[in-house]
Amino acid sequence: MREQQEHQDDEILGKAYDARLIRRLLTYLRPYRFWVVTSLLLLFLTTGLQLLGPYITKVAVDTYIATRDLHGLNLVVLAYLATVLLAFVSQYAQSYIMQYTGQWAMHDLRTQLFAHLQRQDLAFFDRNPVGRLMTRVINDVETLNELFGSGVVALLGDLLTLVGVAAAMFALDWRLALISFVTFPFMLRATAAYRKRARENYRESRRILARMNAYLQENISGMSTVQAFGQEARHFRNFKEINTQHRDVLLKSIHYNAVFFPSIELFSAITVGLVLWYGGAMILGERLLPGVVIAFIQYVHRLFTPIRDLAEKYNILQAAMASSERVFKLLDVRHSLADPATPTQPAHLRGEIEFKDVWLSYVPGEPILKGISFRVASGEKVALVGATGAGKTSIITAHCRFYDVERGSVRIDGIDVREWDKGTLRRNLGLVLQDVFLFSGDVACNISLGDPAIPHARVAEAAQRVHAQSFIDRLPGGFQAVVQERGSTLSQGERQLLSFARALAFDAPILILDEATSSVDTATKLLIQDALKELLQGRTALIIAHRLSTIQFVDRILVLHKGRIREEGTHQELLASGGLYTRLYELQYQPLA
Amino acid sequence: MLAGTGHAIVLWKYPALIVVAACFQGLFRYFWRTHVFGFSRHVDWDFRNAIFAHLQRLPLAYFQHTKTGDLMSRLTNDMVSFREMLGVGAMATIDAIVMISSSLTLMAVIDPLLTLWCLLPLPGITVLVLLFGNRIFERYRDVQQHLSTVSTFVQENIAGMRVVQAYVQQENQKARFERLSKEYLVKNLDLVKLWGHVWPLMSALSGIAATVALWLGGRKVALGTMTLGELVAFFGYLGMLAWPVMAVGYVINLYQRGSAALARLLEILDTPVAVGYAAPGTARVARVLGEIEFRNLSFRYAPAAPLVLRAIDLKIPAGTWCGVVGETGAGKSTLANLLPRLFEAPPGTIFIDGIPLAHLPLQALRRAIGLVSQDVFLFSDTIRENILFGSRDSTPEELETAADLAQLMPSIEEFTHQFDTVLGERGVRLSGGEKQRTALARAIVKNPPILILDDAFSSVDTETEERILEQLKGFMRGRTAILISHRISTVKDADQIIYLKDGRIVERGSHEELLALKGHYYHLYRRQLLARELEALADNGGPGS
Repeated sequence: MREQQEHQDDEILGKAYDARLIRRLLTYLRPYRFWVVTSLLLLFLTTGLQLLGPYITKVAVDTYIATRDLHGLNLVVLAYLATVLLAFVSQYAQSYIMQYTGQWAMHDLRTQLFAHLQRQDLAFFDRNPVGRLMTRVINDVETLNELFGSGVVALLGDLLTLVGVAAAMFALDWRLALISFVTFPFMLRATAAYRKRARENYRESRRILARMNAYLQENISGMSTVQAFGQEARHFRNFKEINTQHRDVLLKSIHYNAVFFPSIELFSAITVGLVLWYGGAMILGERLLPGVVIAFIQYVHRLFTPIRDLAEKYNILQAAMASSERVFKLLDVRHSLADPATPTQPAHLRGEIEFKDVWLSYVPGEPILKGISFRVASGEKVALVGATGAGKTSIITAHCRFYDVERGSVRIDGIDVREWDKGTLRRNLGLVLQDVFLFSGDVACNISLGDPAIPHARVAEAAQRVHAQSFIDRLPGGFQAVVQERGSTLSQGERQLLSFARALAFDAPILILDEATSSVDTATKLLIQDALKELLQGRTALIIAHRLSTIQFVDRILVLHKGRIREEGTHQELLASGGLYTRLYELQYQPLA
Repeated sequence: MLAGTGHAIVLWKYPALIVVAACFQGLFRYFWRTHVFGFSRHVDWDFRNAIFAHLQRLPLAYFQHTKTGDLMSRLTNDMVSFREMLGVGAMATIDAIVMISSSLTLMAVIDPLLTLWCLLPLPGITVLVLLFGNRIFERYRDVQQHLSTVSTFVQENIAGMRVVQAYVQQENQKARFERLSKEYLVKNLDLVKLWGHVWPLMSALSGIAATVALWLGGRKVALGTMTLGELVAFFGYLGMLAWPVMAVGYVINLYQRGSAALARLLEILDTPVAVGYAAPGTARVARVLGEIEFRNLSFRYAPAAPLVLRAIDLKIPAGTWCGVVGETGAGKSTLANLLPRLFEAPPGTIFIDGIPLAHLPLQALRRAIGLVSQDVFLFSDTIRENILFGSRDSTPEELETAADLAQLMPSIEEFTHQFDTVLGERGVRLSGGEKQRTALARAIVKNPPILILDDAFSSVDTETEERILEQLKGFMRGRTAILISHRISTVKDADQIIYLKDGRIVERGSHEELLALKGHYYHLYRRQLLARELEALADNGGPGS
């Protein structure tokens, strides 16, 4: 029985605060600790300066205005102006430094993630769709960026302000301070209630949004099916339903916000009222100077802003925790094809290939290669032929160690590929793949793959030698002509020539060639044939052949069938024997009429 | 004593007034918020619906040259920016206008001259906005564009990992990525350098206003031309100005992002819909019989693109089968896609029951055609939903019959949830052959007079294909069928077969007639016979085993 897979939801949100995740996130700030500390000090400074303002007002009122000391007032006002200006400078510096460190930390995380992906084996990429990996490297890091950029620091600043305001209030007058905090328990209750609802609502909205986006994406990809079956109206209804749910959940959040934020203001107003009432009575009883009340009213305003912010920032924190959890999970994936601790580093490669009883399977119990054994001597050119599914491509996979063999061994110059460093191994195997993958960028870049070790002269020479020069010259911009994403500006044949040039530029002693199956016109065919000869010169080559043209100049042909080597010999020998090859030959290499 | 009670009442009265006023303000705020934000959500809802409906009517060519990622980014990020401009932007604007005008009025009542003095820093905001607004917008756009460059790089890297690893380009790619990421960082910091000014500056400006108030107002109180209470009130009103003034900067940013986003969204809506939707046919057709005719049909996908079909003349009488063979890229699938008007053929080149395609109502036309395409698209829904995709009213029996005809039942019986098994990334993954058979069942259950099988069995082995075809023959009897394939076995029983090469019909006739021609068709047939032989040979443990 085949079971449905467990639903894997990317959008499920966890806790807003997870000490383990936070600790790990903070490690990314460690290289910038000087700046982090600076930024924190500036944050203290800013908060302090902002809290000083009301106190200066108090001094101005009680000490100078009340005594009509105009000179003193001027000085106090100058002090006030100084705090304003200083606060500006320190706030700007603080936010810039924090953004700076956050951006660098995220740059580090992003490059670490990317580097981590480069180390994964191909099986990993078979398991993980491109879209999901993209989300990790781009979107999740962006979410964290926001956290570092504003969220965390703002939260810290808010907490600091809260503590500072409370301290200032108690320092000025403890009775009035107590009065100011009368509404506090109620407000905490309100905040907790709001946060609970807002959190659930936020989760719900994320879930619906994820559903809506998935539905959109699916409809964009499957538009031809929707149109061909005339299902536009039904799908529109479905979409509208999700969209309505989305709207309703957002409307609900508006309701929560519209209750919460004005009620905070109401609490603030009540507190101001209480301060005025009680403070006023104390002033009349001459137990308090009026400036204190003025300062208090300003402090009360500053007390409520951070509470509002804290409630708002909660969602950012929650999203960031979810993102960091996913990012770390990806970073914790170990790659299965480890390089040996002490890889062999042969100085000079002769270029001998040996497959010894190689078994390979992608799904356990379903071997694709079943005991393949053959040898290719240095400089020899061997072709592999066989019907689709015979296991030809899997030979490349085992050879380049994209997957490990199950049994047996693949050796180069007598050394097992598992004893090589994968990079050294592959650098010595020039692989020319059937589906030519072109990268966005110019033609030269697609030949050198942007490798700075390959100078332009070598690129040009490679292009010249595989006859790619003439079509490159025809392109607007020549080597600098931009290649489109899917290479649609180049024909099949031109793309093949480009990939030949690529292999030539990299100059590997062993070439592994997976010929393209698609047909090209006769002129191009001749060109490719010629280029191929040039490419193969002086190298050991293993060619997966799809066309007669290649087979004619190889030294030996291996006939692969259902994971086994069935026949071996030269073209003439095999034809003469009248076995599998003869049939294959008639089938695959007979020219079309 | 008396004075004391009097004071007590006054003392009690004003704070109470503040609270009552705050209650009213809260109430009004609730209504503002719910209305303004609610309005933005409703607009968002309408807009999303409109765009989705529009997308559904766009020509398929649009989806071929528009990246899904780009479309999705518009429909998500840009949509949110637009909504925020409407919601948060409008809210903050209204807030600002109300708060600023009322505060200013009350301040002016206390002391008009002092108010004017305090407003001195205000022009600074305007200068700031003019100076920074556009540059912030540009830098913001730069950041967004660069992010999309980074995304593209990562996407290509992952998609081309085989090449990257084969050529040991990991280090190199890492270096390039690091460069891109660093550029992104620099662009972000460029934005922060400007944008980081805005909040501190706004708060500094209101601080300066407060300084002015404290200084000049303090003097007045000291000199006795103003009471302390008035100064306190003045200060209070000035405090209320601080947030709305800061909001101005915020709104400008929202507005710039929002309008850039709106422009990108309108680009989608401004793309003309497919001809079939723009001018639906009006011919009244009770029942489509299924006669198909192509008259001198030449077709290209875009004005500058090469011709895919050249001067096709073909008549398929109702109830007969037509086979189409030819190499990859010969135009076979194009022929299939033109009939249901997935792509638009030139007017007067295709007729069904003698009626030009453009005159048939689109829905009626598509209802009459059961198309099984080469690349099957299934939705991440249950198998049942996928099969009943185009025919919601079918009975459970019809569903099972269709699945049975398509040889899908053995697979379905393997599933724990049978027809209710969910497909796709979050459910069961079907093999290529199972997908194609599901798509076949989807077309069968529609019970269409015209059936088009476009290479529908490419992932099914020959043996299964023949079993399906054998079973399907009963169903196909009396229906017009177009069988597109590169396998002769699929088409050999057709009433007529055409061989397409480079968009032209180069051979036509019945199987026997074409074999007798000894042309392309004959050679294709020979090669496939050999392949069958080879297959049989190997299964019997051919040479070498």
